[in-house]
Amino acid sequence: MALLVAENLSVGYQTQNGYLHAVEGVSFSLDAGKSLGFVGESGCGKTTLGMAVMRLMPSNGLIREGRILFDGEDLLKKTDEEMRQIRWQEISMIFQAAMNALNPVHRVIDQITEAIHTHTPSHNKDEAYEQVRVLFKFVGLPEDRMRDYPHQYSGGMKQRAIIAMALACKPKLIIADEPTTALDVIVQDQILEETKSLQREFGVSIIYISHDISVVADICHDIGVMYAGQLVEYGAREEVFDNPVHPYTKALLSSYPTLTGEKSKLMPIPGEAPNLINPPFGCRFSDRCTEARVSCRSNPPVWLEITPTHKVLCHQYGKHCGE
Amino acid sequence: MTVFNNDIGLSERFHWISRLLEGWSIYKKSFLGKIGLTLLAVFALMALCSSIPPLIDPMYQPMAGVDPEIFKATGPSTRHWLGTDFMGRDILSQLLTGARIAFMVGVSAAFMSVFLGTVIGMIAGYTGKFMDTFLMRLADMIMVMPALLVLLMLAALFGQLSIWFIVFFIALFRWPGVSRVIRAQTLSLKHRPFIEAARVAGASNLRIIFRHIMPNVLPLSFLYMTFQVTSAIIIEAALAFLGFGDPGTVSWGMMLQWVWKTGHMFKAPYWLLPPGICISLITLSFYMLGRAMDEVLDPRLRKEGETD
Amino acid sequence: MELRRYIGRRLVQIVVIFFVILTVLFLLFRLAPGDPVSRMVDPNLTPEDAALLIKEFGLDQPLWMQYLYYLKNFFTGHFGFSFHYGQPVVQIIGDRLPNTILLFTTSIILSALVGIFLGKIAAWHKGKKTDTCMTLGALVTHTIFLPWLALIMIWVFAYKLGWFPITGMISVEIWLDPKAGVWIKALDVLHHMTLPLATLFLIHFGSYLLIMRSSMLDTLKEDYILTGRAKGLPEKVIRDHHAAPNAALPVVTSVGLSLAFSINGGALTETVFTWPGIGRELVFAVSHNDYPLAQASFLLIAIVVLLSNLVVDILYAYLDPRIRY
Repeated sequence: MALLVAENLSVGYQTQNGYLHAVEGVSFSLDAGKSLGFVGESGCGKTTLGMAVMRLMPSNGLIREGRILFDGEDLLKKTDEEMRQIRWQEISMIFQAAMNALNPVHRVIDQITEAIHTHTPSHNKDEAYEQVRVLFKFVGLPEDRMRDYPHQYSGGMKQRAIIAMALACKPKLIIADEPTTALDVIVQDQILEETKSLQREFGVSIIYISHDISVVADICHDIGVMYAGQLVEYGAREEVFDNPVHPYTKALLSSYPTLTGEKSKLMPIPGEAPNLINPPFGCRFSDRCTEARVSCRSNPPVWLEITPTHKVLCHQYGKHCGE
Repeated sequence: MTVFNNDIGLSERFHWISRLLEGWSIYKKSFLGKIGLTLLAVFALMALCSSIPPLIDPMYQPMAGVDPEIFKATGPSTRHWLGTDFMGRDILSQLLTGARIAFMVGVSAAFMSVFLGTVIGMIAGYTGKFMDTFLMRLADMIMVMPALLVLLMLAALFGQLSIWFIVFFIALFRWPGVSRVIRAQTLSLKHRPFIEAARVAGASNLRIIFRHIMPNVLPLSFLYMTFQVTSAIIIEAALAFLGFGDPGTVSWGMMLQWVWKTGHMFKAPYWLLPPGICISLITLSFYMLGRAMDEVLDPRLRKEGETD
Repeated sequence: MELRRYIGRRLVQIVVIFFVILTVLFLLFRLAPGDPVSRMVDPNLTPEDAALLIKEFGLDQPLWMQYLYYLKNFFTGHFGFSFHYGQPVVQIIGDRLPNTILLFTTSIILSALVGIFLGKIAAWHKGKKTDTCMTLGALVTHTIFLPWLALIMIWVFAYKLGWFPITGMISVEIWLDPKAGVWIKALDVLHHMTLPLATLFLIHFGSYLLIMRSSMLDTLKEDYILTGRAKGLPEKVIRDHHAAPNAALPVVTSVGLSLAFSINGGALTETVFTWPGIGRELVFAVSHNDYPLAQASFLLIAIVVLLSNLVVDILYAYLDPRIRY
């Protein structure tokens, strides 16, 4: 059975100018021990998606439609207290720009043991300390820095501490939202390697959110490409990366340089993402799409299956599934 | 974006007006701002009316006008709407004059302190180095001093202080607070492209400070003026209360001094209450004004729905 | 250690500031209109006594020598004789100092703690009735004119209701009674202190409440608060353990910044309640032209303010790990 299944999820924010459709009709599924990556430009809704799974929406946020099944149970039907217990214990999160995710007035170790104590109060102080020691070793942080304050850590160290903290309660799922964006490439690479080994050793499922498709393709078994709040392509890594179908995915891939293959010109995607307060009725990518037709603008696209594991939200590829 | 000043001329002039109107429409939405402004209007009316009673009858002179028939403190009556003080002087006319004094002291001291603070803050922030350190150390020293008590010492040494002396010294004590804020603002503006461009174009330091930086810090100065008015009024009132105010002016603090020192505080609530209420309310209304202006100047404070 | 160097630096700054104040006061006393000698020497003294004093304070010497005498006298505690009391000034202000410290420190600590506590709650319930009430309450109380509030307090609670004494710090009968124990005496002082303390508290807690509230609202937007929620921490833990400690720091700073203003209020309160502290002594001395007493009281108040600033700075450095480490 899949660990996490989202069905037709729609999430938005109530703003002064109206209701913003941040996420619209997104469905996906994630098995235990696997990782799923969400890629897209900023504003496409991938962060909102992550927050919605943990039900960490701000006060003007609204989960309008859909179900989020975790271990078979709908998270959207849980009470606040039940959700509080699920958080971190079952699902934890690594936030975007985690530089400030640690409270400056408390020691790093105390912030990690706090999570442990909240969810497993039976653990005494020594057991909790021992756990932190193991975690630190795993993420590659020196043990003698456990009792330091966050401002004494470098950016990379803070990120590692955040990862250690996310693992503290041995969750089944970790949602990592752009965990390496603020770091330099060398540290970024190290953390990516550690994330991969993390998955191997702990068997934890990961949802990896990024704007960088190359990173996602490196770590994740499955990839979901998001645009303007919708999932536009979804499939196994090899399928999406090697055989992209949606014009946006193709454009994304060609806007990144590759080391192998022919030398081709980098192509940025012209235009801007649509306004999500009044999203267009038809295909949301049609304005910027090089292969758009008139019918794309007037009719909302539907999911078309290319293979049983690879589907795309587009009008143009009916021929691929024989219809 | 153009740097050359002659191009901006007319549109800049109109821009200023439209910004003012825009600010007013935001201000109007603030509940506190409206109350504050209303209260201030009442006090302003009081101040304006202060010259009327003496014209009706010299008996209503706040300082010297004694009712020929009354020699002690009496309660409110048709002739004296708020009653009389221990000498038989009309309390209402004293209250009205007090409003005038409060505005005069408050606005003058505030204006002076903000003027000083803005100029010093800009110079310190823009010039940097030795001048900056010196001015800020000076500001630190002055900020540590309790203004009221220093004024007391001055009163001890120089005898009775005149109202303008008091106003001037209040300004001298309050400029450091303003200068810190203006300096911070100047520092953040110093490295903006338009300043760099002006420097490259050959503008002198003085010109840059007054032509380019000042318009951008002025709104902040105005905001701080409202807070300065309240502290000036309070310091003058406290000084007068202790008996060291200008003996020739009738301020609310002075009225409180009289009711206290002549032992009437338990016997004459009609005398005790009005001046204190006035001081407190005018402080409150300027504070509300300041808060509402803060919302106008700092968009983040406005009560708008937050988007993620 | 960073902290020690920080404290050392602040101490030096304070000493410098104090010296400047000392010097300015010296100059003012000598240069103000009138006879400077009559400022240090009671005009009512006999010529022989006067001559003695003039010798002691070097009042017949050139200005720079007078300055040296002045400094020497300051450090040896020779502030002259009070014109009014006829006693050595140092004795008088020595007696008064503890009373001021008692009232002043208690009122600041109380208003800061309550202000922080209520501000935290107001921010947590932002927009609801609790918050509106607290904010409006704070706004109104902290704009009330302090001496006037003091008068009203005395009128209502001491005169009309008779719950508290009208003046002073102690009831003489109790303190003269040889059988009265420490506790009775302490309670007596507390009884007398209630009204002045309540007045100072009412005036000051409002501003701390408002600052804490605004600081808390800013803190609640921080990433680590979101992390706390994600960790599944109970709401109260997030509010009290994560948000409040961070939000309280600017309040500590503001206590330091408003110390000069607070001591103004302290002096006014002491005067109206006849609380025998140095603030009241200063006012009294100035009204009676008791220059030696006035000068010494002022200097002592300056020291109190400067040291309080230092204490607040140290407290802040201790509370914020980013400075301590």
